Amino acid sequence: MVPKKEVVAMLLAGGQGSRLGVLTQKLAKPAVPFGGKYRIIDFPLSNCVNSGIEAVGILTQYQPLILNEYIGNGQPWDLDGMHSGVNCLSPYQAVDGADWYSGTANAIYQNINYIERYNPEYVVILSGDHIYKMDYNKMLDFHKEKNAACTIAVIDVPLEEASRFGILNTYENGEIYEFDEKPEHPKSTNASMGIYIFSWKELKKYLTEDDSKDGSSHDFGKDVLPAMLSAGEKMFAYPFEGYWKDVGTIDSLWEANMDLLDPKVTLDLKDIYSRNPMMPPHYIADEAVIQNSLVADGCNVYGNLEFSIIFSGVTIGKNATINSSIIMPGVVIEEGANVQFAIVAENTVIGKNAQIGKKPEDVSDRNDWGITVIGANTKIGENAVIEPKTMIDNDTEVMANEK
Amino acid sequence: MRSNNVLGFIFAETLDDKIPELASSRTTASVPIGGKYRLIDFELSNMSNSGINNVGIVAKSNYQSLMDHVGSGSAYDLSKRRSNLTILPPYGGKTFSNYVETIYNMHGYIEHCREEYVLISPSNVVTNIDYTDVFDFHSKNQADITLIYRNGIIPSGYDRAITLDIAKDGRVNQVFVKPEIGENFNHNHAYGAILIKKDLLMQEIRNALSRNQLDIKRLIQDSVDGFRVFAYENTGYCAAISSNNDYFAFNMDLMKKAVRDELFNPLRPIYTKVRDDAPSRYGLTSKVKNSIIAQGCVIDGEVENCVISKGVYVGKGAKLSNCIVMQDTKIGCNTNLNYVIIDKDVTIKDGRSLMGFDSYPIYIAKKSVV
Repeated sequence: MVPKKEVVAMLLAGGQGSRLGVLTQKLAKPAVPFGGKYRIIDFPLSNCVNSGIEAVGILTQYQPLILNEYIGNGQPWDLDGMHSGVNCLSPYQAVDGADWYSGTANAIYQNINYIERYNPEYVVILSGDHIYKMDYNKMLDFHKEKNAACTIAVIDVPLEEASRFGILNTYENGEIYEFDEKPEHPKSTNASMGIYIFSWKELKKYLTEDDSKDGSSHDFGKDVLPAMLSAGEKMFAYPFEGYWKDVGTIDSLWEANMDLLDPKVTLDLKDIYSRNPMMPPHYIADEAVIQNSLVADGCNVYGNLEFSIIFSGVTIGKNATINSSIIMPGVVIEEGANVQFAIVAENTVIGKNAQIGKKPEDVSDRNDWGITVIGANTKIGENAVIEPKTMIDNDTEVMANEK
Repeated sequence: MRSNNVLGFIFAETLDDKIPELASSRTTASVPIGGKYRLIDFELSNMSNSGINNVGIVAKSNYQSLMDHVGSGSAYDLSKRRSNLTILPPYGGKTFSNYVETIYNMHGYIEHCREEYVLISPSNVVTNIDYTDVFDFHSKNQADITLIYRNGIIPSGYDRAITLDIAKDGRVNQVFVKPEIGENFNHNHAYGAILIKKDLLMQEIRNALSRNQLDIKRLIQDSVDGFRVFAYENTGYCAAISSNNDYFAFNMDLMKKAVRDELFNPLRPIYTKVRDDAPSRYGLTSKVKNSIIAQGCVIDGEVENCVISKGVYVGKGAKLSNCIVMQDTKIGCNTNLNYVIIDKDVTIKDGRSLMGFDSYPIYIAKKSVV
């Protein structure tokens, strides 16, 4: 028999993340490398463990291989104990048929059995595409104190950006009276962080109702939460203070990485756990120049780094210059290559004197420039020039004259 | 011979007295080295990578840091249903200053293990060796005893080095103990790694005890007459740490790409206890040249020819050259350090200056505040 858990966390990790382009072509979004040695999912997983949550279900659907392998038995996050565990939950076949997860709510609905095994009081619903550190216990205490059916974490966003988010309008005591999805004229600046705590009894009821509703897209934001609100359930917004970033787009992924280099940003990487590659410490050569960068184990740096994030096992050749870029594990940047404002995915080789991306003349005009992305296992030939904002496929070869 | 038929047997305190400061609060085996490792990581990884599933580490004293580091052995894949790592503290509270009695003292453990062979190994040697080649060599030659050796200069700390006179077929003609070691003269130096059948080992140890022969080196010397003793050359990079200078020199050797490529062969990785450190962060004022730097560091100062371990902080305006800095040490702003070995958790306050010399690096003890 499985011992009772007060809280079970369910981590939504099945989406395609198509806005990340080549980075998620063969990889689920939560498995995208982040911050020099992590993958995005390390953040919610570490938060769970640091909040004392011992049962975590990860809902996988799109390209789960690397993600499944990475999670493994959960050992790096201490989720391999007698009283703790992590399970990757894929869609499955049952007596009455088989279905893909048709929406976030449906993914949870199909795994009611998993949750019920723990007989929990509360269920935490998390996303696999946010970078933040949070103690879910504090939110749970708030949820209990308000005697809520559902509590949604919110973060205060600047008014001019509020129309990009799902905005929650609340009374003074924090009780939600309205959802406003990407409003043109936002009434408040409380943006939903995609973190929900439900009292399990209520959630189960609404999930079951939602499942039989025709025309429902089986989505938390679009269907389940509005249904609960209109039924008069007590729903509260929990204000979170601290660093939080959705990394669902190339730009935001790049920005969140760059934020790690900004001393003004409050996010630190302490107590974020991950699988560690077995590599020796990195080597910085005589001719290397490194400024304001993060460098992981196993790298050999002979060139110049500025404002960059270098993952494990990367080689930066002599006179190569990396500026404001993210270089993922195992990449080789050959001599004299110049990589600026770019993301280079795993095990790619950038040939001698190649020019990848370009530093924008005016960084402040965000519409005018973009990040160059080079896919994984790709070879960029000698002297090749890759224009800013382009995206090069995985497993390809680009020679100099092809552009 | 299959390697899972071999018991690994490592002495944690090889040449402790030769590195008295480094080993003052720990065993030789757990001396921090190369930025993120402890000495024993190399031998444990070699054994694990060679398919040895059962390893005993003989510890005499000060082995708390060793136990803390190796833990259950899971970092080396030695903590499974069919693999094991055991720390062997003095049995019956008895400690001995010679290997013969020490090994005999462990006879209960050795005889209990199901493996037929024993690979005895020191903990002061840094190398990446595939022991399956040694086992093949041993079986092919139908050897009773195989001594692993390196050809090179004998490090200064070896008072009673064993050198070998080897015939063309690899058989040992003669074993010398404490030969005249001319400086800069290459010897076949048997550094203490020995492959032998378990029963033969225990039989010889018992015989030696009954003759009151407590010198294991004499025992090896005498064995040439009665047994098939062969020598296997470790042709790879091999650093035997027998003094502070050796320790210093090895760390500096890591700046050579060829040495790193060989020691950290990705097909035979060196494992160590994992710590969840973030990648190291270089600030706007950092200047780093020719250095090895582990994760979790914050470098705001100037670093040249240094090995910097996990979680070290180097403040603004600090100038470090030719230093080895162990984990979680804090080096204040505007400091100036040259040829210094700085142990764990040390605080060097702002503005301090410490100068050692090439041939005499100074040592700052664990948890000191300068």
